[in-house]
Amino acid sequence: MASSVELKRVKKRFGTVEAVKAVSLSIEPGEFAVFVGPSGCGKSTLLRLIAGLEAPSEGSIHIGERDVTYVHPSKRGIAMVFQSYALYPHMSVAQNMAFGLEIRGFKREEVRAKVARAADILQLTELLDRKPRALSGGQRQRAAIGRAIVREPEVFLLDEPLSNLDAALRGQVRVELARLHARLGATMIYVTHDQVEAMTLASKIIVMNAGRVEQVGAPLELYHRPANAFVAGFLGSPRMNFLEGSVTSAHAEQVVVALASGPVLLSRNGTGLASGARVTLGVRPEDFRVLSDGPSYRNAIEGRLVLAERLGAETLVHVALDAASLATPIVIKIAGDLPAGAPGAKLRLAIDPDKCHLFDPEGTAISEAAAKLSVSA
Amino acid sequence: MYTNRAVGMAYVSPFLIGLALFLLFPFLASLGLSFTDYRLQDRWSEARFIGADNYTQMFADHTFRKSLWTTLIYVLITVPLKLVFALFIAFVLNFKLRGINFFRTAYYLPSILGGSVAIAVVWRYVYAGDGLINQALTLAGFGTVNWLGEPSTALVTIILLRTWQFGSAMVVFLAGLQGIPQDLYEAAKLDGAGPWRTFSRVTLPLLTPVVFFNFIMQSVQAFQEFNGPYVVTGGGPLKSTYLLPLMIYEEAFKYFDLGYASAISWFLFVLIGVITAIAFTSQRYWVFYAQDRERAP
Amino acid sequence: MRAVAPSAPVRPSTPAALSNPASLRPPALGQFARLLMNLGPTLRYSVLIGIGFLMLYPLLWMVAGALKPNHEIFSGIGLIPQAPTLEGFAKGWQTSTEYTFTTYFLNTFKIVLPKVVLTVISSVLVAFGFARFHLPGRRLWFGLLIATVLLPKSVLLIPQYLMFREFGWLDTFLPLYVPSAFATEGFFVFMIVQFMRSFPPEMEEAAVIDGCNSLQVLWHVVVPVIMPAVISVALFQFMWSMNDFLGPLLYLSSVGNYPISLALKMSIDVTEATAWNEVLAMSTLALLPSLLVFFFAQRYFIEGVTLGSVKG
Repeated sequence: MASSVELKRVKKRFGTVEAVKAVSLSIEPGEFAVFVGPSGCGKSTLLRLIAGLEAPSEGSIHIGERDVTYVHPSKRGIAMVFQSYALYPHMSVAQNMAFGLEIRGFKREEVRAKVARAADILQLTELLDRKPRALSGGQRQRAAIGRAIVREPEVFLLDEPLSNLDAALRGQVRVELARLHARLGATMIYVTHDQVEAMTLASKIIVMNAGRVEQVGAPLELYHRPANAFVAGFLGSPRMNFLEGSVTSAHAEQVVVALASGPVLLSRNGTGLASGARVTLGVRPEDFRVLSDGPSYRNAIEGRLVLAERLGAETLVHVALDAASLATPIVIKIAGDLPAGAPGAKLRLAIDPDKCHLFDPEGTAISEAAAKLSVSA
Repeated sequence: MYTNRAVGMAYVSPFLIGLALFLLFPFLASLGLSFTDYRLQDRWSEARFIGADNYTQMFADHTFRKSLWTTLIYVLITVPLKLVFALFIAFVLNFKLRGINFFRTAYYLPSILGGSVAIAVVWRYVYAGDGLINQALTLAGFGTVNWLGEPSTALVTIILLRTWQFGSAMVVFLAGLQGIPQDLYEAAKLDGAGPWRTFSRVTLPLLTPVVFFNFIMQSVQAFQEFNGPYVVTGGGPLKSTYLLPLMIYEEAFKYFDLGYASAISWFLFVLIGVITAIAFTSQRYWVFYAQDRERAP
Repeated sequence: MRAVAPSAPVRPSTPAALSNPASLRPPALGQFARLLMNLGPTLRYSVLIGIGFLMLYPLLWMVAGALKPNHEIFSGIGLIPQAPTLEGFAKGWQTSTEYTFTTYFLNTFKIVLPKVVLTVISSVLVAFGFARFHLPGRRLWFGLLIATVLLPKSVLLIPQYLMFREFGWLDTFLPLYVPSAFATEGFFVFMIVQFMRSFPPEMEEAAVIDGCNSLQVLWHVVVPVIMPAVISVALFQFMWSMNDFLGPLLYLSSVGNYPISLALKMSIDVTEATAWNEVLAMSTLALLPSLLVFFFAQRYFIEGVTLGSVKG
């Protein structure tokens, strides 16, 4: 029952603005695919194109075996959960769920059975006779999902379903969604701007920016091997730190990059890197260590403490590497507490040499040629 | 949202047909008629083109000039009067009163009923020689006034009839006042603003869109006042309440001179148009919109 | 007390000017203004009750007059009749014409009811078209719609009359309600469009996904949701039509077709010695439908008026 979804060179123009620029994608049956990106990146537009609420300017859309590019939304085998739930306020939950089935001509008993089944899955049975205004946010959310389930669609489309919920509820519903997906085995296409939702729910993440797909892959793959600086900076919180520098020397087993604060040694295959080439070094906050005073360390970077945000289990330390970057300090994440230091105090940091990313001036990640062979511990 | 334009046009088609048939066509036809000599009893073919004769006659016509003057005075007095009362009462009402709904209803009631013949009839009764007003005046020690019989006072009765109906403008002002966030008043208080300053610097500027709306609506309606003069005074005495809409009606349906009546009606239209246009262009200088003004589609 | 920074761009000019406001206007005015603006509840209530009473007095006197015998009408300012009687109502209803007020009331409803029904249907359809479809020239048409609200009707009067004469509709009710089938009252369409726009289209999109065509979406989803606005439109049109005088005056020539508005006017035209108690009795009855409707549906009126203005 779950179908695949394929987009072939889909473009969408609104007047002179190209909201979606030649996107080609393939989503397997049963996958939980998440479109994620900043607002305006085209992810919602793409979802609406798949739903059929908009028609593509170019390209084609396939659900399962069928080309649905010009097929009416109600005949594509999709169901949609809207950000604002879009429940019919004058109908009870049961009527909301039954509505589409009735329009399509299903018999009364069949409709009732389907509604009961969906209500059971979502624990809505006691709420079936209530109107939306008598429900809490989370309950309305479930009713909207119930309306989608009842259609037994080939593909579920969810448009930022959690953004209208408060933080506490969001975490809870996220878990419920993951469980629902596991139970139904349905193909789910999910749109969000929240990278945490993307990371936790998706089996496949599609990162979008300004109408283009930046990278597609499993969450951890995108996290550890981002294809460009945008993806690297988008996933992960706090954001990856980017430091400008240039290559001093590049060998098969190591690369030395000169930053404003000094040289840094990276354990990576540097073949193909020209000496003097401008690069951006990307290091995630958790890949730093604060060094205590004492023995010198080869990859030590010096900086001054700007701010320490103590969260209890971990601390986010804002460090200025030089006078110029006082306004944009790097952020590092350490477990536990930071040994006391007032703003301005000197800090020495170490970068884990295995965990660095290099990006060229255009932002593309510089991959390692024979990476797997040379890098060891 | 729906992409099928043809279906959309189908939904809008009644309006488009109505626009052409009942609005556009009559609109242009009356312009055409204003350049003809056409009597009510004639067939169409008997309409004679006479150029701008109707208009020259109009400006030379003493009755027309008096009617125009009376209409202008009427509008110039009623509209501000109505707006001031409406704003004043709305201001007094804008308060956590118990029974605010009751008062709002009470003040709104006249404007619901006021346009009717029934009220106009009652007005004749109230301002009659020994009607309510004169009885009250006698009681207070003043003499009676021949309201409906004296040219100098007849217009006052019509003005009061319209001003009495300030309720609808008041309701709009009240909504506008209630739309001003409490926070702003608190901030002004902290800044040390006294009550007058708060009103003139915080309340009033934020009310300007509503003032503008009310001004336009009230002015356009005031220029078209018909029931009052027709029923209460019949346009007299001595044409002292002979407002333009009444003149248009009588020229057309009492004296059967449709060409002339059309000319007057077009003049009235242009007059209202000019005033509305001036008001709209002046918006920039005195109307303050808190959000971006999203013009319809 | 929390310190709140004003969020609107409007701020009192400078702190210095504020600290001596007295220097900027005459002291006496300031005292009065202070009194007025800081109205305590008692002062407000007195003003409201006082002016309200004055405003409503004509109406009260009308009803009182309807209950008085004719010779008592101009006898005083008081409200309570000395010899209350219903003869004003009885005689007034019979009228001095060959028809009674039954006919006149029926005529009124024969005009008003079709008008209201046709207005509601056409306004909802047209508003739906404007609010939800990408129409060629939508801005232009919508602009024209708004312009019709401000258009003085007197300029259309004569050609419309001639047109209806050509149709042979004179002395019938048709000219009075047929135009309403064409959503020509822009105010109503505007009101419904604004109300529709205040709901995000997602509900309708859900209905489309559920398989509805646009008419089904309109009927099943949109109309139930915009019901308050629809009721407002119906009520306003009811009131305005009840009060309509010029329309009937223009098109209806036989007395048997007169609605209440014309009948009332006729009753004060008849002779010099008007039976005022009868006239007032009939006036009261004429206003009664509007009054009743208003009292039971106030909420919709007030909301309707503000809908078209403040949000506009």
